[in-house]
Amino acid sequence: MESEGTDDYETLISTTDADLLKRSWRNEKAAPEILQFQSSLVQRSREQIQLMEETVEELVANDEDPLTVSLYQMDIDRTLFLLRSYLRTRLQKIEKFMFHIQKTEDLWARLSRQEQKFAKQSIADLKTHLEQSVLSKLPDRYQSHLKQSVISEEADMVPEPKLDAFVICRTRKFLGALPVDDSGEENPLDMYAGDIYALRYKSIKPLIESGQLDLV
Amino acid sequence: MYGRKASQLLKEFVSGEPGQLTGFNNDLFAQVIEECDGNILHLQALLRKMQEEGSNNQTNKNADHFGALVHHLSLVRNKRCLMAYVYNRAEVIQNLGWTIKHADLPAAVKEKLSISENEYFGKHSSNLQSYMLDLNLDLAVDMVPPKDPYIKVRVLEEIGEVLLSDQIANLAMHSILFLKRIDAESFISQGKMEELTS
Repeated sequence: MESEGTDDYETLISTTDADLLKRSWRNEKAAPEILQFQSSLVQRSREQIQLMEETVEELVANDEDPLTVSLYQMDIDRTLFLLRSYLRTRLQKIEKFMFHIQKTEDLWARLSRQEQKFAKQSIADLKTHLEQSVLSKLPDRYQSHLKQSVISEEADMVPEPKLDAFVICRTRKFLGALPVDDSGEENPLDMYAGDIYALRYKSIKPLIESGQLDLV
Repeated sequence: MYGRKASQLLKEFVSGEPGQLTGFNNDLFAQVIEECDGNILHLQALLRKMQEEGSNNQTNKNADHFGALVHHLSLVRNKRCLMAYVYNRAEVIQNLGWTIKHADLPAAVKEKLSISENEYFGKHSSNLQSYMLDLNLDLAVDMVPPKDPYIKVRVLEEIGEVLLSDQIANLAMHSILFLKRIDAESFISQGKMEELTS
């Protein structure tokens, strides 16, 4: 147990925020549902970008070698791209599954404060649009935007992410035999560090959340 | 036949180019709504009749019961189709909101939207803007991973003198220049510039 602890610690100090951001971005891109918002990581990355921008300005002011400046600039651009794309991917998921996210507490809690604000507004806007275009023109008992009619017991008209979609993932360390198939058959899979598998997202979800597995 | 018009509406959407909109089919849309109104009238009449006859719809499944069911199912199906039509178009509109601002929407696209869609586009677009403002980060640039901080572009429309992030440039028509990718991206998405790839 203790050796595992130091192991984690070593990987922790050897990973930079850039790596972490890249990993979160990849996971977010590949996962069908929205993942936990990495608020402190985003915060740190933004501070880092600002710091680097100041460095570049200083270098320019000191007439440094243009190549050095351009290398710094490229680094900033890359981090900015990762950050933007990460935030963008999340917003697009919110746009797609807003009603589902709203009614699932667990998912709602994964959004950042600003994202929640965005989601609330989007939901209100889309609801108004759907009501104006379709629902107000239908009979009373068929006017819900979540249910097909009042007879439906639960919301049966909400787009949801396909959690049993296949995703490509890479293991970060030896995970041992895992039951990855929920068909009931005994079919554990030995997962070694660095191995790449195509598995159903649903079956590996906890491993991604705990960071033992990366999506690619 | 019930439900046919609604499926036509969807077929029309599906047969269009993905990511592009055809004109909002008000005519067909209204016809489907009309069908729904017909359905509910029949449905209510049948339900009333069943109530008057005092038949219990759990035990006594007669012709009226199934008649009512058909009308209900037709209604539900039409609703799903109409919602799918509007919802899928709304998704295209959302994507549009990422690339152009509401004010910059070309008239050719604008006339394809219904009134409500137009309103929705405006709201969605300003919602996106306010999120970016909260974060103080423009998310509409950097759509592709950066390779080089500078790219070569040709100016397609007269833009004039513009203050860019590192220089003041004269963006005259047909001129070819090296710009920072971030500066050039918004012009490219507006169609005022094109990227030259060698």
